[in-house]
This record gives sequence, structure tokens and C-alpha cells, in this order.
Amino acid sequence: MKVIKIDKTEWTKGLDALRGDYRLFGPVKEKEYCNFKELAKGESPELDMPNTRLSPKSLVFPQSEAMMAYSLAPGEDQNICKEVPKDYSPRAILGIRPCDAKAMVLVHMNFDNGDYQDPYWLNLYNASTFVGQACDKPCGTCFCTSAGSGPYNEQGLDVLLSDQGDHYLAKVLTEKGQKLMAAAGWKSEADGQALAGKKTAAETAITSQVSTDRLKSLDTMELHGADFWEDISFSCINCGTCTFVCPTCWCFDIQDEVYGKRGVRTRNWDSCMFPIFSVHTTGHNPRGTKLQRLRQRFMHKLKYFVDKYDQGIMCVGCGRCVQQCPVNIDIRKVCETMNSLDSEKFCAVQQGK
Amino acid sequence: MKNLLEHMGIEEGRLHFSWISSAESTKFVKVVSEISEKVKAIGPNQHFVKQEAKVA
Amino acid sequence: MIAYTEKIRETAQRLLKQCQVEMVIGFRAGSMPMMNEPCFIRKPEDAGQLVWDSNCGINLANYLTDRKEGKIGIVAKGCDSRNIVTHILENKIKREQLVIIGVPCQGMIDKRRITRKAPGEILEVIEADGQVTVKTATDAQTYAKADVMQSNCMVCKHRNPVVHDEMVADPVPEQTDVDPYEDVKAIEAMTSEEKWKYFDELLAPCIRCYACRNACPLCYCPTCFVDEAKPQWMGKSQDPMDVRTFHFLRAYHCAGRCTDCGACERACPVGINMRTLTKKLNKDCLDLYGWEAGLSLDSRPALDIYNPNDPNEFIK
Repeated sequence: MKVIKIDKTEWTKGLDALRGDYRLFGPVKEKEYCNFKELAKGESPELDMPNTRLSPKSLVFPQSEAMMAYSLAPGEDQNICKEVPKDYSPRAILGIRPCDAKAMVLVHMNFDNGDYQDPYWLNLYNASTFVGQACDKPCGTCFCTSAGSGPYNEQGLDVLLSDQGDHYLAKVLTEKGQKLMAAAGWKSEADGQALAGKKTAAETAITSQVSTDRLKSLDTMELHGADFWEDISFSCINCGTCTFVCPTCWCFDIQDEVYGKRGVRTRNWDSCMFPIFSVHTTGHNPRGTKLQRLRQRFMHKLKYFVDKYDQGIMCVGCGRCVQQCPVNIDIRKVCETMNSLDSEKFCAVQQGK
Repeated sequence: MKNLLEHMGIEEGRLHFSWISSAESTKFVKVVSEISEKVKAIGPNQHFVKQEAKVA
Repeated sequence: MIAYTEKIRETAQRLLKQCQVEMVIGFRAGSMPMMNEPCFIRKPEDAGQLVWDSNCGINLANYLTDRKEGKIGIVAKGCDSRNIVTHILENKIKREQLVIIGVPCQGMIDKRRITRKAPGEILEVIEADGQVTVKTATDAQTYAKADVMQSNCMVCKHRNPVVHDEMVADPVPEQTDVDPYEDVKAIEAMTSEEKWKYFDELLAPCIRCYACRNACPLCYCPTCFVDEAKPQWMGKSQDPMDVRTFHFLRAYHCAGRCTDCGACERACPVGINMRTLTKKLNKDCLDLYGWEAGLSLDSRPALDIYNPNDPNEFIK
């Protein structure tokens, strides 16, 4: 695997060269935080701030996306539901963190699982080349190393950049990454020795550790019936903040918006925290209480996904939900509580049932 | 309602309220004509208009 | 304000021991700087969990809606107590169900204001003697608390609980030389086009997470207007008109009921100051009807009753 040295003086030149073949996306400063946006001509990605407020999932999974459109008006397309034209031209996502890139890999498992593919998500994902930025200064809320990722983790990335002061060392991980580097004109090969040391230092800088070792072996029904859910869910206000900032949350709702004789089938992010998320057409709601919804969210992230895919938890330790939850429900605390569930207390045999 | 809409940027003079009984046809004509004049003078409304959802 | 913690614990323990309440709703220490987590306790020995400091900005009255318990203890600062009054007037809880532990509030810290000032990740925030010290990895800065409070606390005129069964301290003097509506007046002075643009920019980051709505004690409709489907009043997408309509209508539903507790702004993950809408309505209610929400259990809200003297020069 090649390692290429990019002098910071060459950075903008390379970005400009890329614009010929790629649409560029990267973190852009908004108020006191950054979010991933398309980079305007001459705009560079903001790489010196902590991770973005919202995750980059909106780049491949827009919050509101038109899928199809139809019209009742007489004409060639009358009464036909047609796909809305989209721009799937190649795009470069610059400055995505390893945790968010791993999250894309996890979401990919859901949106391309052999039986079913989500063409909207896959088209955007496949058109994207991910140039990651390693985290040398993790936040106190980052726990990626406990969640199957890490500040120098390579999953989901095509290139991994490491800031070395006056230059970046770019580890080229895939063909797509190689193509991008060539298009940018970044080609001076370098010795990647410095990377190993930086990786260790970054991993040591992660202070937040969460135990997940027992989650796989714990009994699902015992976790479901545990007595700590009432205490954990009390403060939850059932907003959608955690689900919307989370890079691995993938739920959406499809709806037709009708304007007279035209209509557009749109999909919007949905949240399992919303009360009507699970309402049936009969009116019955299997998760009508706050406790049920909160329990479902954490069970999905930390247990159901573990059981279904055997790839670790459905959380990458980015810490956004911890930082943004208005009532400070902390997934790290919940995970520890779940992980340390005392099975003895629930063993039906021992209780003589 | 009027105050809040105007606070958000709807022009003053676009929203009008009037008590008119169905027996007050003359008043109805007068008020409608007045309002039409006033609103026409402001011009076509550009705000709170949604032709189609602006989505990705 | 820190001394309140001991008194709250003592009161909660006593109320639970004497079976005067089945549960006490308060705050426990959070896992992040400037955050506390609303919690409940049922046993007197858990009273040690409860804390109180200037990070208790979330409105606990939000957790009272339609509760069935016979007796609930609740820690309430000035604005919270006014929301409790509104809850009682609107039949969402009965007065007899509550034992209100009143807290004379001296203002909550605004974590966004502090985050903007800090050069890096905030590791610790300590408050003492009217000063707030903010520690990052590289430095520590001290600010006067008055400079880093939530905007609604800076102009609060109802710091003392209006209704209570217990008080954890003596009432604090109310602020008199503040103009709560200064920012509203600034917007009122703009032209229509400027106002439209102002709200365009204000609401642009909105992600329709509904944290503002859910943190608000007044927003308790079993089905919120945004979730209605038959008919559907407005779209659920990120279309800017739909986003604006959501905020406009939510503010309108809080007309004459909002106590400016600031929970909405505190909850918002993208830092939108949506109080500029609700405060306009509060100001209008004050100007037109002389009404401020939740001050007394004895008066019906202004938009609930008809008075022949109600101003009506806006109707032809």
C-alpha cells in the first residue's frame, strides 16, 4: 500500500485539479461547529476542527430525497411514476473521520444485503471516494476504540490522511483512492513509518472506554426484561436528535407529496424515537411508550445488530449522541449497564420457576 | 396571528380581519374591494409559498 | 445555588420517608460538563443522587404531563413553577398530586455561549461565588456568571417559584432593570424583507428533530400537528417553507402559555434561537391583554376567556 506525501502548499492546487473530475465535499464551518457540505469553488475543507456536528451520512443519504415523480396531466408521462433525475457524477468526500467511514460500512450491510439493495443510497455511495482524516486529537466523548474502530482505522476509506505538521501523509487504500490521488496530482511517494507511531499515540489519547465483551453472549430476553430501562428512559424526551446525528441510524419514511395534478415520492429520515414511528394502520402502536422506544433503540444498536451480523456493535463511538442529547442520556453508560447485566438474577432455573 | 406573521416577514397589509355577517352584503363588498386594492398594491406574494418540496 | 443541593436531598429524603410522595423528580449529575440528567427517585436512600447547580436548564414540568401517580415531588425553579401552574390550569396534572420543591433561581449557564468562547474541548466547568471557570486541555478562563447565562435567564423577571409546598432557600430579589423584549423590538424595527431573511437564516440549520417541541412542557398534544395525516397540514421534509411553518405554528400554539424557560433553545442540537418567535407572542400577550403565563392558579389564560375590553382594532 502506497504512502504519498502531500505538502500543505500543494493541498489547494490538488483540490483545484480534483474539481475537474469530482464534486468536492468536506467539513465547512457553520456557527461554532462544522458540517459536511459541497465545497464551493476555491473553498477548502475545514480539517482543524473537531468532528462535525451532524454526521456525513447526509452525503449518501440526504435527509429529504425525491425518489420519483408523477403527473396526471395529459402528455407522454401521464400517470407514470418516473425516477427523478439525479446527479451521480463522481464525488470526493474529504476529511471524513475513520469512525464515520466505518459507519458507512455498517450501513452498507443494511442497504446492500444480497436480497435487497437500496439504489439511491448505493448510487451515491459508489460514486463517492472517501478521503479520510485520522484523528490525532480525539474528544473526551470519543470511544471508537471500544466500538470496533479507531482514530487510524481504515475500514470504509479509500485514502487515509495523517497530519504531520507541514505535510500530510496519505495512505492509499484502494483503487478508487489511487485514481483520486492521480487526478489531484499528488504523487510523491514517501515512507509511511511515521504513521505507526501516530496511530499508537492517537489510540492512547482516547480516554473513554466502554465494555462490550458480554453483549453477544447475554440473553436477549433477559436484557429486554431488565429492570434498568425505567431509570434510563425517564429523562428521554423522544426527540430525534440522537438518531439524526448518528452516522449508523438508517431509518426513513417514504411519503408522496401531492401538488394538484403532480406528485413527488419523497423519503425523509425517520426516528424510532418518534411516537408514531411504529404505528400500524389499525392504530395499534407496539411501541407506544417512551420506555419501549428507548429500549428498542439501545437494544438495536447494542444487541440485535450484534446478533444479526456478528460484526460488533452498531455504534462507532463518534460521541455525537452523547454531546447532543438534550437530557444527557449517555450510550456509554447504557452500554456498560447492559454489558454488566447479572444473568444470575434472571436465571429462571435458579429461581425455581 | 397577524402580528406573528408580520414578525416573520409577511408584509403589513397582506392579512386582514373583519367581522361580517351574512346579512351585511354591502359591507362584504366594501371590505373585499378595499382588501383587494391594498394587497394588489403590495404585489404578488412571494412568502410561505411552496410549489414543490425543495429536497435533494 | 450549590448549597441548594443539600436542601433538595434533605427535602426529598424526608418526603419519601414520610410517604408524602411516591417519587421525586429532579436532576442527577450528568456525564458531560454543563449537563445534568433529569431523573426520578422512589427510595429515600437514593436522595443522594439529586443535584442542583446552574446546569439545570431543562424544564422538569415536561415530565409531569398526564402522570398517574398519586403524589409526586418535583423540584421547580421560577419558570418551571409557572409551567406547572399552566399544566394545572390545562388539566394535565392536578394540584393535589404535587409537592412542589421550590428553588429560587439565579440563572442557568448557557453551554453554547461558553463553548463558543472556549479555545478547545471543555473538560470541566466550575461555578463558585458568581464566577464560572472553564477548563480546557490548554487553559482555564474565568467569567462572571452574569456574562455566560442563558439569554432567557439574563432577562428573567420571575426567578422565584410562584407556587410551592417547600422552598430550599429564601426568595431571591427579582431583576427589575431588564427589558425582556429588547431582541423582539430589534426585529420589529426591521422591514418585511429583512424580517423574512432573518428567519430564513435563523431556521436554515433546522433538522426537524423536534427536540424543541419535546423539551417544551407545553407541547403535549397526543398527536402533534406535524404528525397529522388526515389531513396533512404540512410536509415532513426539509423544504424551507415546511421548516418555517413548523416553527411558526409551534410558536403560535404556545401563545399566551410560554414562560420563556429556554428549554427549547437548550435542547436544540444545532443552536437555533427559536425564542425570537415565542417571545414576540409573549410580548403581544402582555401588550394586548396584560397577560403573562402561569403566574397564578386563579386566572384563566388570556386566550382562553373573552373580555369585552379585548383589543380589536385589527378587525374591521
